[in-house]
Amino acid sequence: MAKPMRGGVQLRGVSKTYGEGGAAVHALREVDLDIPAGALVAILGPSGSGKTTLLNIIGGIESADCGTIVVAGQDISGRPPRDLGAFRRAHVGFVFQFFNLISTLTAYENVQVVMELTRRGDRGHVPDLLAAVGLSDRAGHFPAQLSGGEQQRVSIARSLATDPDLLLADEPAGALDVATGRRVLELLQQTGRAGRGVIMVTHNEATAEIADHVVRMRDGAIVSTDRNTLPADAATIQW
Amino acid sequence: MSSALQKKALRDLRRRLPQIAAIGVTVMLGVLLFVASFDSFRNVQASYDRTYARTHFADWTVTGGDPDAIAAAVRNAAGVEGVATRTQADQPMRIGDTKLVGRVVGVPAGNEINHIDLVAGQLPDLPHPDQVVVERHTADTFGLAPGQRVQVFDGTAWHDMTISGVAESPEYLWPARNRQDVLGDPHAFAVLFAPESVAQTLSRRTKPNITLVEMTSTATQSERDWVAHQLRTAGAVDIEDRGDQPSNASLRQNFNGFRAMAIGFPAMFLSAAAIADHVFITRLIHTERPVIGTLLALGARRGRVVRHYVWYGAVVAAVAALAGVLVGGAATTAYTNAYAAILRLPDTVIEHRIPTAVIGFVLGLAAGVVGGLVPAIAAARTAPAEAMRGDVVHPMRMGPLARRSARWTVVPVAVRMALRSLTRSRRRTAATMIGGVLALVLILASAGMLTSVRAMLGIEFGWVQRQDASVLVVRGANDVAAQLQSLPGVAVVEPATIARVTVGGNGRTYATSLTGLEPATVMHGFRTPDGTARTLPADGVLAGVALADELGVRVGDNVTVIPATGSVREVRLAGLVDEPLGTTLYATNATAQSMTNAGADGYLIRFDNDADRDRVRAAATGLTGVVAYTDAHAVENQIERFLVIFWAFAGTTLVLGTLLAFTVIYVTMTVNLAEREGELATLRATGAPVGRLTATVAIENLAATLLAVPVGLAAGVGAGWLFLRSFNNDLFNLHLSVGPVVLILATIAVAAAAALSQLPAARLIKRIDVARVVRDRSQ
Repeated sequence: MAKPMRGGVQLRGVSKTYGEGGAAVHALREVDLDIPAGALVAILGPSGSGKTTLLNIIGGIESADCGTIVVAGQDISGRPPRDLGAFRRAHVGFVFQFFNLISTLTAYENVQVVMELTRRGDRGHVPDLLAAVGLSDRAGHFPAQLSGGEQQRVSIARSLATDPDLLLADEPAGALDVATGRRVLELLQQTGRAGRGVIMVTHNEATAEIADHVVRMRDGAIVSTDRNTLPADAATIQW
Repeated sequence: MSSALQKKALRDLRRRLPQIAAIGVTVMLGVLLFVASFDSFRNVQASYDRTYARTHFADWTVTGGDPDAIAAAVRNAAGVEGVATRTQADQPMRIGDTKLVGRVVGVPAGNEINHIDLVAGQLPDLPHPDQVVVERHTADTFGLAPGQRVQVFDGTAWHDMTISGVAESPEYLWPARNRQDVLGDPHAFAVLFAPESVAQTLSRRTKPNITLVEMTSTATQSERDWVAHQLRTAGAVDIEDRGDQPSNASLRQNFNGFRAMAIGFPAMFLSAAAIADHVFITRLIHTERPVIGTLLALGARRGRVVRHYVWYGAVVAAVAALAGVLVGGAATTAYTNAYAAILRLPDTVIEHRIPTAVIGFVLGLAAGVVGGLVPAIAAARTAPAEAMRGDVVHPMRMGPLARRSARWTVVPVAVRMALRSLTRSRRRTAATMIGGVLALVLILASAGMLTSVRAMLGIEFGWVQRQDASVLVVRGANDVAAQLQSLPGVAVVEPATIARVTVGGNGRTYATSLTGLEPATVMHGFRTPDGTARTLPADGVLAGVALADELGVRVGDNVTVIPATGSVREVRLAGLVDEPLGTTLYATNATAQSMTNAGADGYLIRFDNDADRDRVRAAATGLTGVVAYTDAHAVENQIERFLVIFWAFAGTTLVLGTLLAFTVIYVTMTVNLAEREGELATLRATGAPVGRLTATVAIENLAATLLAVPVGLAAGVGAGWLFLRSFNNDLFNLHLSVGPVVLILATIAVAAAAALSQLPAARLIKRIDVARVVRDRSQ
């Protein structure tokens, strides 16, 4: 049976400006975007192009100044912070460039703590999540005892702890060497192929080859949206 | 420091106003407490000294021997300012409906030594031998004014006396009859001043019985020793030093407690401020590692870096210390005035001493400098290249607790995280704990005093003194016991013998009371030093434990007892009793009467449960032969009055202790949040509710606070014990009494302060800019 596709995104006229007057920085300008459910999308662009702001707005950790944002079937435009927290619990998982693991918790506990605090997810699945990222034998290790790639894999397992519709990854391989980064991208690709939406922000053209869709940004605007008819296998890419 | 760095520091401070305010308030309170309590203590002391100097308060009050011969022996001695003899006697009196044993004090011609200050009316007119001056407390208690009358019994007849004036005396600034009765029923004591000839008439004496000696202010110790020796050689039985004079000793006992507080309590606040400052500067330096690295790389001298970071604590402490000095000055005035008003001191000295202000300011400044010095020096030693890498994550060595707790799968991860965080930043945890410990010490030292005094009163009036009232009768009055027994509300009546005696041993003497009781008395409990009960010995006397120290005697030794009437007797010290108030001798009525050559002159009464105390008092006082009546409850009230200022101070420190805990824990908590901003932002990004994150942080801070509780309770009890011990002498014998309820309440107070300090945490966590933090950490 085909797996249900999740995590579609529709943006209409989304803008975001930081600062005021002469110091204003237009991070996003009238952005329209449609991402089908279950797709792996790469957002490409140079520094300051607005890609992280776009990711944060989709993830509900930042609010847009105007426009409509529908994520996983939820219209989150103009929602108050409390509602956005509930939205994130139910629909979104995050993977950060520098992993942001809690140093005093083991790999296992870093995954479990999200389940506890959000009261979502089944704690019995923590071993499965760690197994899925290949860290069953490192479950009891603290972040300081793990390599960068292992930490990022824990971060991916953590992001999946609440079974989100959409995974948002900000430069997931940015702090890793090629081989390790490739392993992390494989995991994200597997996640997308399992029917979950994945949006990955990157400035690395090579990593975008694994995506189903590639969105290019410059100066806060989307300059192109391309469908990749034959995404590369993450295990084969080079940069 | 360069102006650019100064501007940076000022801007940094502005951005951290809540923490700065918390540290500043703690420094200010420490300095304020120091200045206010220390200068107030000095002011009170100076007020007494001024009164004593102005009224020529006697350095020695000598009883026994021939006063004229004693006076002659020292009148021309080196260092002696003046000598006087006078008559003094405790006589039955009637003031309105009240019967009591009051004191008639002769005023020698010239009214020089122990000069009395008229506050109303005039001195007695010598041609009118029925005139007396009433002491101010007596006038206040009984509502007496010039023109009113009192009666004095001379042993055979009553004398109607007219009050010519009301006066204050240095001997009765606190109306204490003697050292065993410093907190007596005010309606059972009165003081009348009369011309020497009138005093002799009222006491049926033909010559003075007291010698007063005043030394010059420049008298040396050797001159004092020589005069004291001469007094004894000339026949003095008891020589009471000014420091031992009952009123003076009581008042000094009262305000000496503040001297201990003037050092101890401010020290706790300033220590807490230094700790909070240390935590604050450590965190500041941690966040500014790249800046420090850059400055050092650009060639900044290490000393400049040290000065820069010490400057933060110094400027906060300097401003707060200055405020503490100013507010402390105002508090000194208010406190000294309040003290003088409550005790109605004749002279009030209010001085703001520059050395106190300077010391207070320097101590406050030192708290700020010391707190920041260690992290500032460490910052200056940082290798520039390492520092410029910024807020890098250093590999953490996981301790046994962290490794072991990874297996505690039944414990929520959030709790495990909180527990491990305790060991992650040990200095911060230690700071939180020290804050808790200091707060508990402050609270328990104050609360311990309150509960111990309460317990003391409970022991004194529930365990030791079991009578509800005592009655003195004219010697030879036979049927008073039966009449008392027949009064409505009276349950039990027992005869008692009460006499003033001087006890001697090892060449030392001690003036005290001898109380004779029935062998199987139900009116008095005898509590031994080990806390057990005992009965009166068939032979010999029991004495308060302080007597052993005063005379250097032990149980089984013989002591000499010299009664006011009767001959010198040797008697065995059969045992010691541990009583909270006074150091008294006890014996059976038979033993006491054989020593004093007199019969029972008093009765102890116990009431029925539903007795009307006022009606019993009125009825007993109205009986023929009754000369004085003392209500035990009135004594308790008098003690409350004696301690009223202390209650206010102790209550204030209870509040301040809780505030101290709040301040330290608040600062460490905000630093904790700042250090964990990334973690918290990450968890918020996953949708973790603010409330649950706040609870997780709160668990950590409360755990650190609770870890401090056992240490704090032990230290607090120890501090309370030391504090109380400073009060113990022959007037008071206080034992620390801190029950489990107090310990629990103190713990709750500190935990509540810790919990309260978490409230801002919710706001801070809510205000974390999740997008900024995760973006910053991703760049």
